[in-house]
Amino acid sequence: MTAIRIAEVARSFGAVRAVDRVSLDINEGEFFTLLGPSGCGKTTLLRMIAGFCDLDHGAIHFGERRVDTVPPHRRNAGMVFQNYAIFPNLTVAGNVAYGLKARNVPAGEIGARVARALKLVHLDGYDERWPHQLSGGQLQRVAIARCLVIEPEVLLLDEPLSNLDAQLRVEMRREIRLLQQSLKITAIYVTHDQEEALAISDRIAVMRAGRTEQVGGPTEIYQRPATRFVAEFMGTTNLLSGIAVDGPVGGTAKVRVGGQDFALPAGTARPRDAVTFSLRPEALRLIAPGEHAPSGWHTLEARLAGVEFLGVLTRLDLQLADGAPLRAATLDLPPEAALRRERITVAYDPQRVTVLSKP
Amino acid sequence: MRIAAARAGFPLAVAAVAFAFLGLFLLYPLFGVFKASFLDPTGVSFTLDNYARVLSRAFYRASLTNSLTIGLGATLATTAIGVPLAFCLARLPVPGKPVLLALAALPLVLPSFVGAYAWVLLLGRSGIVSQALRAIGIDGVSIYGKHGLILVYTLQTFPYVLLPTLAAFKAIDVSIEEAGQNLGASRWRVFWTVILPVAAPAVLSGALLVLMETLENFGVPFVLAEDMPILAVEAYKLFIGEVGGNPASAGVLGVLLVACTTVALLLQRYYLGRRRFATGARRTPPELVVGAGLRGLATAYCWGVVLLALVPFFAVVALSFMEYRGPVLHPGFSLDNFLRLLDRSQRPLMNTLVLASAAAGGAALLGVPIGYVLTRYRSRLADVLDIVAMIPFAIAGTVLGIGLVISFNSGWLILTGSPLILVLAYLVRKLPFNVRASSAILHQIDPSLEEASINLGVSPARTFLTLTVPLMMGGIIGGTILTWVTIASELSATVVLYSGPWATMTVVMFQALEGTSAGAASAAATVLIVVTVVPLILVHRLLRRHEMSLL
Repeated sequence: MTAIRIAEVARSFGAVRAVDRVSLDINEGEFFTLLGPSGCGKTTLLRMIAGFCDLDHGAIHFGERRVDTVPPHRRNAGMVFQNYAIFPNLTVAGNVAYGLKARNVPAGEIGARVARALKLVHLDGYDERWPHQLSGGQLQRVAIARCLVIEPEVLLLDEPLSNLDAQLRVEMRREIRLLQQSLKITAIYVTHDQEEALAISDRIAVMRAGRTEQVGGPTEIYQRPATRFVAEFMGTTNLLSGIAVDGPVGGTAKVRVGGQDFALPAGTARPRDAVTFSLRPEALRLIAPGEHAPSGWHTLEARLAGVEFLGVLTRLDLQLADGAPLRAATLDLPPEAALRRERITVAYDPQRVTVLSKP
Repeated sequence: MRIAAARAGFPLAVAAVAFAFLGLFLLYPLFGVFKASFLDPTGVSFTLDNYARVLSRAFYRASLTNSLTIGLGATLATTAIGVPLAFCLARLPVPGKPVLLALAALPLVLPSFVGAYAWVLLLGRSGIVSQALRAIGIDGVSIYGKHGLILVYTLQTFPYVLLPTLAAFKAIDVSIEEAGQNLGASRWRVFWTVILPVAAPAVLSGALLVLMETLENFGVPFVLAEDMPILAVEAYKLFIGEVGGNPASAGVLGVLLVACTTVALLLQRYYLGRRRFATGARRTPPELVVGAGLRGLATAYCWGVVLLALVPFFAVVALSFMEYRGPVLHPGFSLDNFLRLLDRSQRPLMNTLVLASAAAGGAALLGVPIGYVLTRYRSRLADVLDIVAMIPFAIAGTVLGIGLVISFNSGWLILTGSPLILVLAYLVRKLPFNVRASSAILHQIDPSLEEASINLGVSPARTFLTLTVPLMMGGIIGGTILTWVTIASELSATVVLYSGPWATMTVVMFQALEGTSAGAASAAATVLIVVTVVPLILVHRLLRRHEMSLL
């Protein structure tokens, strides 16, 4: 198990700062994800760790060993490529044995280790197959086996699932996670898919324009985004801005938005502060006529402007008193009676609101 | 995507070897030619007298204007023939297209001076067609002079325009055309306002190659120009000179020639760089539905042009099996020509095979790593190497030959008289093709394969040798065969550089042209055609993707 320390790392391509002084400390055995839209620098950062991209500034350590000055073939950082990069001129066994041969592992030992690696990814018996005879998912497994067989210090994965269909993607990400946990290997995973990142990671670094926007565990990133960008990138949300008003009610602060008051967690805003906060649509609950909101919850009146049925979810487009939009979501389909009314009541737990520290 | 690692030793090592080689055997000899043209007879002080002296003579001024007018004439004619041909092959239902396409590229690799000689056998003073025409009272048809040169060049170099234009027409997505029509333009209007402008950079880039090729060609004007002065030929004559050579004057003509071809090369690179906006069709435009009349016309046109370009080669092969007495042809099958040729030309044939193999092998050994470094490791150094490695494109074989003789006939390294100087000349001349062919192959191999190998612990140099080269092998073999074929029929540098026992088949042919024995010349021509065509047929399938690299 190896910790990875990335300190003040930077790289520019012409005038573009692809990676702009990023520092990250990745713990031993951690599954760490670099998440962000295309062009945010996540792949460049991963390629710096693998050694395929030079640093303009900064340093990278695997444990105590500084690696950014080590040529890529001596870093011992196994990488799984987006397009798998399976050598088409070698069989499955030949591919998996490739790195062992480079390390001059005795021939007798290679066979056993290849067999073990293939078993690990459920490809036993595929030794003599050729890459062109395999499906995308199988190629992916070969790529992983080829990487793990050399017992790398760290495992680097560059959007490894993006070429698979939706169902296989879910299956493979679970397998990758289980493998990583059972081998206790430190892994860095690059993706632009926030759901994938949430499902698989111990911690996530959300990146934007070459910088890390926020680093934290999946629930933290999702529920307590630090910035507007993270809040929006991590899924649909209501980003609301207003001025805090006087009068703490039951320990909560209040902000006036769109002609209505919103309750915020206690101590998050002082009167007359300009505040931006995120309120996830699924935190809003529809209150049927005659029903009471749970105690401590804040209720809002809104006009129902539109309903979108998505199967698992139903999305509600609401309008506040002055016409400002507010999005709500409920599991399944809400009672039809509730949707026939033009004015409806929604409620939320103020604790579910996140006040953005850097609006 | 490229493997970036400025510190990596492998690309630096390749670049160092490449610069050393090209510096010594390309830049240094070129410098020698320049120096010769700018030095006074004592060889110490700088002077422009050589230029003044050469250019004061109408004869040499004419050599410049002749070369340029013939070159431009051939450029216009190939464009006029090549663009419609490309459109017919891209969009019209012409029967036998695969065969037609395979044959259409052939004129580029067949030895051009053999073609010129074949035209002489047909339309020369005692050519069989001119004699037949004279018999029915038509006189004055001649293949000699400007018009003949333009005709022969046009038929030999039109593939330079055809191949890129055809690719461009096929790369224009059908939706572009549909959008034009949807907005209310007729098919005809869409062709003139969209399709042709989008293909124009490809057309121009091909046309400029024609200009370069015709400017530097030595063999064709040697056969067809007669007394008309042509730059490449006069530079050779001045240098070899019957009463002692004149390197200064030859150098002047050489520099003028290099200046012309360099302008053409720079323009060509410029247009080639702009070609990318015509690539990446998701749906190749379909064949147009046309009436039987138009279809017949297109078929006749395509087959007509391609066969006309190849007919002289068939003719010379056929004629070589006939009986000659001196220059006079007698009907009747005979192997005499070959027996006589074989009698005295076994050594030259061996020389051709050995020298071409050595040079083609060398070009692959040097060109493939250079192409790899240029494609995979982008850096300032690589950009410079890219430019230097393309210079031979602009250097006429005659000029390179003169430069090599000037540089290596005395001093610390003497190469004149040895076969090595021929091999080096071929290697330098064919290097750009090899480099570009390797780049083309590499663009089809995903760089992440090499990254995966390096990531698994194999060094960059070993990755190149054990992974990349095997993956490229089919392409490398195809490219090497193509190089071999063009070297086997190389004339312009060979005539300057060969010495006594190291004469090649092209030299035998060249000498036979000066003599009167049409029989021996046609037999030598046939041998050269066979040496060219047979390897091409053998590796036909490997060659498809190299056609574009010729450009």
